[in-house]
Amino acid sequence: MLAEFGVTLPEDTAIRVWDSTAEVRYLVIPERPDGTDGWSEDQLTALVTRDSMIGTGQALRPEAAA
Amino acid sequence: MNRLHDMGGRYGDGPVPDTDDSVVFHSDWEAHAMAVTVLSATVGAWNIDASRHARESLAPKDYTRFSYYERWMAGLADLLVARGVVTADELAQAAPAEPADLQPSALRAQDIPASQNKRAPYSREIDRAPQFKSGDAVRSVSYSPNVAVPGGHSRLPRYAMGRVGTIEVCHGAHVLPDSNAHFLGEAPEPLYTVAFRAEELWGSAAKRPHDTIMLDLWESYLSPVA
Repeated sequence: MLAEFGVTLPEDTAIRVWDSTAEVRYLVIPERPDGTDGWSEDQLTALVTRDSMIGTGQALRPEAAA
Repeated sequence: MNRLHDMGGRYGDGPVPDTDDSVVFHSDWEAHAMAVTVLSATVGAWNIDASRHARESLAPKDYTRFSYYERWMAGLADLLVARGVVTADELAQAAPAEPADLQPSALRAQDIPASQNKRAPYSREIDRAPQFKSGDAVRSVSYSPNVAVPGGHSRLPRYAMGRVGTIEVCHGAHVLPDSNAHFLGEAPEPLYTVAFRAEELWGSAAKRPHDTIMLDLWESYLSPVA
């Protein structure tokens, strides 16, 4: 499934999938990429993608935002 | 949920299409379909669980060939007739035989934002304690989770029926869609997030057996595992 979205994760990454079956809603907080220490909110926002907010991808790498 | 929409874990549907979600409506009629459906609910003849059930109950041959908003329109048409708001004849003629009683309560354009911004939480206070606590092992019901209406609306996907999981957290009591969808009352009961190991759900097809799948499940879907 993740591979269909072009995502590969390290073998030791635990994946927890939420199937939204009730009226409770969940937000995915993207993992902060390495190399972004001291970045402003605007800079970090530029790394956030749709897929990273629904758990089917990771935030962009810092070099991708350059 | 043993109807066609219950496609979680099903083979044969092909890859998930990676579509451009910046396009909200693919044509004008889709926006109208959404508006008519959402605003028709203000008539008060049904609730959100009933409207979901109406779409899920479309004939399989229709469900398969309809687009997303075609399902919305078909479900709405069925609900309007089933709840006696209009007759099938009136719907076919696109005009009422005589003015309907609900006209005085028609929603005016200026009242729409307020009516749509109203919050309608599904959490409820009940006077009994939850049966399960975090860490308890539970088994989900094995076939037809809706005990009041066989084959009725339910939120337990087929892939998670009859499986053993662990209570992650209790969310307090919530309206039971299985009851509410059929106008049998809200029947609120404790709602839990239940964690299932991938291997418990997918067997040897689980590529990473220790990954977990979380589902929000109502207490009546669950029984204790010693």
